[in-house]
Amino acid sequence: MKNFNYINAPDLPSALEALAKPDAYLVAGGTNALVDIRAGKINDRTLVNIQGLTEFDRITLQENGRIQIGALTAISKLAASDLLAEKAPALYQAACNFADPLTRNSATIGGNLANASPAADTAPPLLALDAELLLASRFGERRLPLQEFFLGVGKTALVPGEMVLAVEFMPNSFSSFLKLGLRQAMAISIVTAAAALSLDKEGIVREFHLAFGSVGPTPLRAYNGEKAVTGTEFADPEVIKQLQEAVQLDINPIDDLRAGAGYRREMAGVLAKRAILSAGREVGQ
Amino acid sequence: MAKQEIKLTVNGKIYHLEVAPNEILLNILRDKLFLTGSKYGCGIGECGACTILAGGRSYLSCLIPAVAADGWEITTIEGLAKGEELTPLQQAFIDEGAIQCGFCTPGMVMTATALLNENPDPDEEYIKDYLRGNHCRCTGYIAIVKAVQAAAEKQRQG
Repeated sequence: MKNFNYINAPDLPSALEALAKPDAYLVAGGTNALVDIRAGKINDRTLVNIQGLTEFDRITLQENGRIQIGALTAISKLAASDLLAEKAPALYQAACNFADPLTRNSATIGGNLANASPAADTAPPLLALDAELLLASRFGERRLPLQEFFLGVGKTALVPGEMVLAVEFMPNSFSSFLKLGLRQAMAISIVTAAAALSLDKEGIVREFHLAFGSVGPTPLRAYNGEKAVTGTEFADPEVIKQLQEAVQLDINPIDDLRAGAGYRREMAGVLAKRAILSAGREVGQ
Repeated sequence: MAKQEIKLTVNGKIYHLEVAPNEILLNILRDKLFLTGSKYGCGIGECGACTILAGGRSYLSCLIPAVAADGWEITTIEGLAKGEELTPLQQAFIDEGAIQCGFCTPGMVMTATALLNENPDPDEEYIKDYLRGNHCRCTGYIAIVKAVQAAAEKQRQG
């Protein structure tokens, strides 16, 4: 017999108190938690429902110019956001390609990140946008760069009793997301890539961020790829070739039932090229 | 395992129920309220056969703990028709032959109902994309898309 208790947290202090207990298991949209319960991966736990924390179900453009998205914001809300479509197209595109419309109505951005799947679709765009997480526990709040958050498959830098409250980033209209799956619907990605770009007036790449999903144990920033492009002329075919070689140092793909490691390597290069060109096309190149 | 009392409004009727924390909403609808239109297909949110509406949006009832649905107003496939009078969408599924074995049909109709709430004038691509979480293993997709188009047109004509 499966054995569970349940707490419905009406506000943040009660959520954090409930989470401080060692058997606490956080439930937001339920799209990961219920699957794990059914599979018997979790048992003897107290489910802590945080859906009542409605102050973390919103997308805000802050006075300092940064966009903050509450952890409980459903993916469908991201996919319907004009603000994100204009100011963070990488994240918007990831939301529009996320699973299917049904799952998007329940799945939350906080859950997608905290579940720490290497294939989490919202992670590469947020990594490329250099996002920062707002975390909280009973002992207080802290900020953590997203690239320090993912530690392994299903492993994060969250300490026991800690939860994700929100994710925050500087908007970048010159950003893009691409996903390669086995089919269009409900596909767990083979490779995803996200790019964010800033060009100066001469068309030189001042800053370039590139991130991948499904080509390593965690979603990851491709620092070697970024270095190959920064300071060069945008869309120079020679540089793109160097980018495609450089990202091979950043990734560490495996063979699984969806694709072989070799194919993933090849496709990571292809998606890197498409992501940077797609991010920059907005500039009028 | 401590049971909790919840209140559900399903198809306009109010229910007070005692549920365990790990019971899913779908099983409460089927086993306690005997609303067996919503189907248990995969149980992991892959197939869409358990789709219900809450607040006009479509949800997978196999991934919602019943306790978390406390206070929700839910519509299931049983709540669409008024007596014998089907909705234009339900009628269109019949007219277009969009039903084969029928197992996916309740979920398909619920998601398509949400679709038409959101967009009364969807094109074929929009319909295909919106229904991509509802699987039909008889692969009767062409007739299903046609049925949604026919219902949309009928709805627009009033």
